[in-house]
Amino acid sequence: MMKTNGNVKIDETSVQESAEEKPDQLNPDLENEYCEVKVENLNFFYGSVQALFNVTVKVHEKGVAALIGPSGCGKSTFLRVLNRMNDLIPGTRLEGKVSIHGENIYVSNTDVVNLRKKVGMVFQHPNPFPKSIFDNVAYGPRIDGLKDKAVLSEIVETSLKGAALWDEVKDRLNEPALALSGGQQQRLCIARALAVKPRILLMDEPTSAIDPIATQRIEDLVRNLCNDYTIIIVTHNMQQAARISDYTGFFLQGEMIEWGSTSSIFTNPQDNRTEDYITGRFG
Amino acid sequence: MVSITEKTMRVIFISCGLAIIIFLAGILYILLSNSMPGLIELGLGPFFAADRWNPGAYGEPSYSLLNMIYGTLMVTLGALIFAVPIGVAAAAYLAEIASPWEREFFKPIVEVLAGVPSVVLGFFGLVVLAPLIARAFNLNSGLTAFNGAILVGVMALPTIITLAEDAITAVPKEYRHASLALGGTRWQTIWKITIPAAFSGITASAMLGMGRAIGETMTVLMVTGNMVARPESFLDSVRTLSAGIAIDIGDVVFNSTHFHALFVAGLLLFLITFLVNLLADILIQRKPEVNK
Repeated sequence: MMKTNGNVKIDETSVQESAEEKPDQLNPDLENEYCEVKVENLNFFYGSVQALFNVTVKVHEKGVAALIGPSGCGKSTFLRVLNRMNDLIPGTRLEGKVSIHGENIYVSNTDVVNLRKKVGMVFQHPNPFPKSIFDNVAYGPRIDGLKDKAVLSEIVETSLKGAALWDEVKDRLNEPALALSGGQQQRLCIARALAVKPRILLMDEPTSAIDPIATQRIEDLVRNLCNDYTIIIVTHNMQQAARISDYTGFFLQGEMIEWGSTSSIFTNPQDNRTEDYITGRFG
Repeated sequence: MVSITEKTMRVIFISCGLAIIIFLAGILYILLSNSMPGLIELGLGPFFAADRWNPGAYGEPSYSLLNMIYGTLMVTLGALIFAVPIGVAAAAYLAEIASPWEREFFKPIVEVLAGVPSVVLGFFGLVVLAPLIARAFNLNSGLTAFNGAILVGVMALPTIITLAEDAITAVPKEYRHASLALGGTRWQTIWKITIPAAFSGITASAMLGMGRAIGETMTVLMVTGNMVARPESFLDSVRTLSAGIAIDIGDVVFNSTHFHALFVAGLLLFLITFLVNLLADILIQRKPEVNK
């Protein structure tokens, strides 16, 4: 199982060195160690094309994990594995084990709808529904069967506050969401995801389609949210990963080359390819 | 330099395009010129008076189109009540649920349905549907507005299915993904996101289906019984404006008041269809608001 190219480094560190390196991750019972997300030997295929090769990684509760790497390296595919959004693409196939909160999510009796309520997602392009601001945020709770207007209003307010959007929209909750600016729309999408009360939030390049000032607001927001949620964010922007994440994974051509604390990845990468990428030699 | 063939081709194609406008203008002109004498002679009132359609009556003929307007409305609205839910559901199935194989199988069938001659459908209504309706509702005759509504609904289905499917397919996939990622089921996504987002296109499909239904003649002529009385319910016999024209036009005296009155009915049908299609067109132009 251990390979030489370092892509399963996390296993090595957790087995042998975690006591010294990351005492907070020390757990005597490593096999059954509780992880928010635990991926083992994941191979993923689009038809006959393999997109992910033997990815193994553990993500612990809370904090921000960033996935970096050049375009087409598999980081978005990996993200969509975690809430099974890849199911929507015909002809995909997966090998290996993906567990969330200790449960394998790729077994036949997995409740995908329930999984997606626990694992929220924010997309690359802001995609609010063509409905009012209120109805956008209330959508998740409503399809869950919640009808009580007062409870809904409370959830909408909490979620919008959680996404740092409340002050800007509290007086116009009934206006169409598509009238908001791009950055506001993206925060609305975050609020919409929060309203379902997920535990994990997946973000697929959430700032790549919005301007720098709006980007900064989202980054601040991510830092705040990671006190309550486990956030896994795909980003094209290495500086962003360095600014906002606690852990970083570097993907290259479908392999996870290196995974570790953000400071160690950026200051002391173990793999030459990681170093080449973060110093801008390619990518 | 533009060659002479290039110029000739241009003129030919422009003429073909213009021909459409000329045909339409010609039709409108014929309708107006033939209905005007009637409108001038009688005024607008008698055509909409609470009266009878009895142009052949000795001494005091009456020309009220009202009962035929009721007939047309009943058949058309009945057809929509029947065809819109089925058509939209079928469109949602084709656009959202069907596998590529199923889609390849069903779409040609919808097209075949569109090609069934109306006289064949009318025959089916006469021989199969009418006895069934008569037995089910314990009537003397199954030749009713209900019968006509179902058959005209079947005729409007291909229009509704094809256009509603286009409208549903045009909804950006980002909306669906957002809904599914929030833990929405496929059913919730279709019902609460996709269909509402496609609403203007779906309404347009229903209106174009309606345009098809209003003017339909042969089928309704064969299956609605053609009685020019004020209908009390869908189980009454009715005569529609289109069937009324078709029945009388064969033996009407040329240029008589009766003749002109039939053209008034034709003008009315033309105007209703024109307005419905125009409205549908406006709705189709109003694309779903895409966030780009």
